[in-house]
Amino acid sequence: MTRRVRLFTTCLADVVARRTADDAEHVLRALGHDVERVHGATCCGQPAFNSGFDEPARAVAAATLRALDDGTDDPIVLPSGSCTSMLRLHWRELFHGRPEAEGAARVARRVRELSAFLADDPAALRALGPRLDVRVGYHDSCHMLRELRLREEPRTVLAQVEGLELVPLASGERCCGFGGTFSGRYPEVSTAMADSKIADVDATGVDLLVSADPGCLLQLEGRMSRTGSPVRVRHVASLLREALA
Amino acid sequence: MSATTPREDAEVGGRPLPPGWAAPAHQPGADSLADTTFEERARENLARPFQRTAIANATDHTVFALQRRFAGTAHDALRDEARRIRAHAITNLPTYLEQWVDRAEARGTQVHFAADEAEARRIVAGLCAERGVGRVVKSKSMASEEVSLNSALEGAGIDVVETDLGEFVVQAMGDRPSHVIAPILHRTQGEVHELFSAMAGEDLPDDPEALTGFAREGLRHAFLTADAGISGGNFLIAETGEVAMVTNEGNGRLTTSLPRIHIALVGIEKMLPRRTDLAVLLPLLTGHGTGQQITTYVSVLGGPRGAGEPDGPEEMHVVLLDGGRSALLGGEFEEALHCIRCGACQNVCPVYRQVGGHAYGWVYGGPIGAVLTPLFRGQADGGELSHATTLCGACDDICPVRIPLHDLLLGLRRRRVAEDVAPLSERLAFRAWGLAWRHPATYRASTAVARAGLAVLARDGVVSRRVPGLARWTATRDLVLGRRR
Amino acid sequence: MTDRASFMAAVASTPRGHDPGLPDRAAAPDAPTELRAGESPLDRFQTEAEAVSTIVERVDAAGAASAVAAALEAAGAGAVAIAADLGDLLEPVREACRSAGLQVDDYADVAPERARAAALDATVTGCLAAVAATGSIVTTGATGRAAALIAPTHVCVVRADQVVDGLHALVDGDVLAAAGSMFALQSGPSRSADIEKTLILGVHGPGRVHVLLVV
Repeated sequence: MTRRVRLFTTCLADVVARRTADDAEHVLRALGHDVERVHGATCCGQPAFNSGFDEPARAVAAATLRALDDGTDDPIVLPSGSCTSMLRLHWRELFHGRPEAEGAARVARRVRELSAFLADDPAALRALGPRLDVRVGYHDSCHMLRELRLREEPRTVLAQVEGLELVPLASGERCCGFGGTFSGRYPEVSTAMADSKIADVDATGVDLLVSADPGCLLQLEGRMSRTGSPVRVRHVASLLREALA
Repeated sequence: MSATTPREDAEVGGRPLPPGWAAPAHQPGADSLADTTFEERARENLARPFQRTAIANATDHTVFALQRRFAGTAHDALRDEARRIRAHAITNLPTYLEQWVDRAEARGTQVHFAADEAEARRIVAGLCAERGVGRVVKSKSMASEEVSLNSALEGAGIDVVETDLGEFVVQAMGDRPSHVIAPILHRTQGEVHELFSAMAGEDLPDDPEALTGFAREGLRHAFLTADAGISGGNFLIAETGEVAMVTNEGNGRLTTSLPRIHIALVGIEKMLPRRTDLAVLLPLLTGHGTGQQITTYVSVLGGPRGAGEPDGPEEMHVVLLDGGRSALLGGEFEEALHCIRCGACQNVCPVYRQVGGHAYGWVYGGPIGAVLTPLFRGQADGGELSHATTLCGACDDICPVRIPLHDLLLGLRRRRVAEDVAPLSERLAFRAWGLAWRHPATYRASTAVARAGLAVLARDGVVSRRVPGLARWTATRDLVLGRRR
Repeated sequence: MTDRASFMAAVASTPRGHDPGLPDRAAAPDAPTELRAGESPLDRFQTEAEAVSTIVERVDAAGAASAVAAALEAAGAGAVAIAADLGDLLEPVREACRSAGLQVDDYADVAPERARAAALDATVTGCLAAVAATGSIVTTGATGRAAALIAPTHVCVVRADQVVDGLHALVDGDVLAAAGSMFALQSGPSRSADIEKTLILGVHGPGRVHVLLVV
């Protein structure tokens, strides 16, 4: 079923991961959805919220809320598990007892993480004939896995790609060390955490490391680029776009 | 009565430890955590790849054993029930404490009340001085670490011997335990071999069995010659006035059986309403702690040696420690008191795995350490620790009593801001961020500037040099903007 | 010095949090430490005890005393102390040990003399109960607090009717009414994995635990 979809690309995509946003839009359009990017949205407020700065978090999130709460029931799709988790679960707390609470609740009901949205209709994806001969390791983002409880959905999506072999990672569910501001606050610890993950990825012998969270990918790809890991890194959206090309 | 000189009579059994074997005890409470940062403290472990591998292997093994242990049982229901028991016990702590004290005293236990760490030290040292205690054997107690008990006793001229194998190594090295359950997770067999060989004055065989055998002889002598045994306690049972404790080596049992005086130092939050609650909490404590069905030894102590019993201490003392606990009751962080010190959150913590226990700076490491340290020591001292986690949530998922560690950590970060303890630079940065990104126009402008700046620095879509303002981030990582070839 | 009243006042001074109420514990929880439906308590006891390196041997009542002596001989024991909680078996065990040429004393006589206690090769005790689901033997102050740990070998006589299903049956029933000043569970030999996670038996307590299950 094709439908009208609002795509919230997130701030990380606006600064460093524009490609992810473009690829997500491309895949959604390929499926026949009527995609409209959300204009006027900034950030979900998570960096400040998770640092204990609720006031600026609320001010920024309110701007995004105004842009997202557009009076429709259209699903709002995000190519980011972490931002989805913020909107879906933590806005309630952030706006508790405030005038924005009702709107935040409306938005929370509409937001969908991209791979979970795609997993609603795997047959439609399969019908497009995605094909890529690669061995893939999937990194579960912490917020997707333990807050949104999305474990199977991204795997279901990857399973639609012909020729793709999903190889389990021993460290697949362990944090990559990004942690938002953590990665800048404790760069040495954060890097050590990434290295432990990358060592596992390298040892597993995959062609591609895939995740659905731009934050994790920023961290892992950034470190892998610096250390020269032979494994390439893709967002689920980018992998699908390649598979559809 | 003055302290008696411990008998160094090999005839009594075991082999006396050589004079001066122990390094001066570390005083966890004496260091200010604010003098160093978490990352500075973490560096020591980060620089030791062997230790990091050892910690990773050990913690992985324990988590695997845990999962296997509860497979096929209603694990979640058991945890729900444990959570309820703990929540009920803590919300009704005044009632249960009164009940526990009444019952314990009725059974001949002498109960003492330590409002803070200094008072706990005073009480224990006083008991030892009044009773002419020259040597004390200790079984592992985190509460005694909290109050820096060993150095206080040493200062009073008392010979203190830690009897848990790991804690014995820690004491001999003048080190600190790095894990609630496995104190020398950060030490290698080679280090223990070197240490024990020096103590023995000969080159001992470098295998764990022989090394353990060496420690056993020295510690056996200490058990047989000690005047007092000091232990912690895993649970207080209100209904019966008992103290329950678990060990695997058996040192806890010998500590509380052989010396004529037993002193238990126990935090007031260890309360369980009933004996029957052990059937829920014990399997969780041992299963989450080590993956065992049950620890080798469980002792439930209800007073000194009874009439007609062949052994046991003439006196049993319990020192109840508040030490910042009562201040948490009824508040936002009350659930931190539900902790049963199993160490599972440490085992799954991806940060702990890299940095080890010492980076947390005080007594408790891992997620629960990052919560308890600022709560017990104050925001100004330990507040930074709430940031020493990626909020990945693995701790929430494994906690046997379902403490919402993620929420508590986030709450502590908020409190740090509310109490103005957060650094000025951080406050200014978030204020500026908030001002710029609350309007779509300024947001677009700032992200456009950022993009343009990165584009200038990038080569083939990759920024692999230090970026102004992100120098620490980009010191070890590239910013990949396009597709890396 | 903080007295009881002021200590308690501090604990009671804060507002109370939400009390979820105390769960009713009439039934055993579904935990690894409980018997599963249809399991034989004696078989489960043996399985669990053996899993933690306890030697388990089933004997009949008439052969119990000589089995104790044989277990002690197998351990190479010379000096042995026997605990009063052997009950009816106390004298038969003493006789059997003497016949086997062992030096036998009552634990109550040995315990106060540290050097003698430390020189023991083995102790023999009965128990208050045994827990099937955990393979544990339960002793009390009447057994002797250190009786199960002081010597390198511990031989324990468990009657089949002393075996309770699980931890819940132990702590929730009347079994512990006779516990005295303390009760204790022991499950296999003393162990440590402190040195690089290598499992070592016989750290402070016995390296050898031999249970004679009288059926």
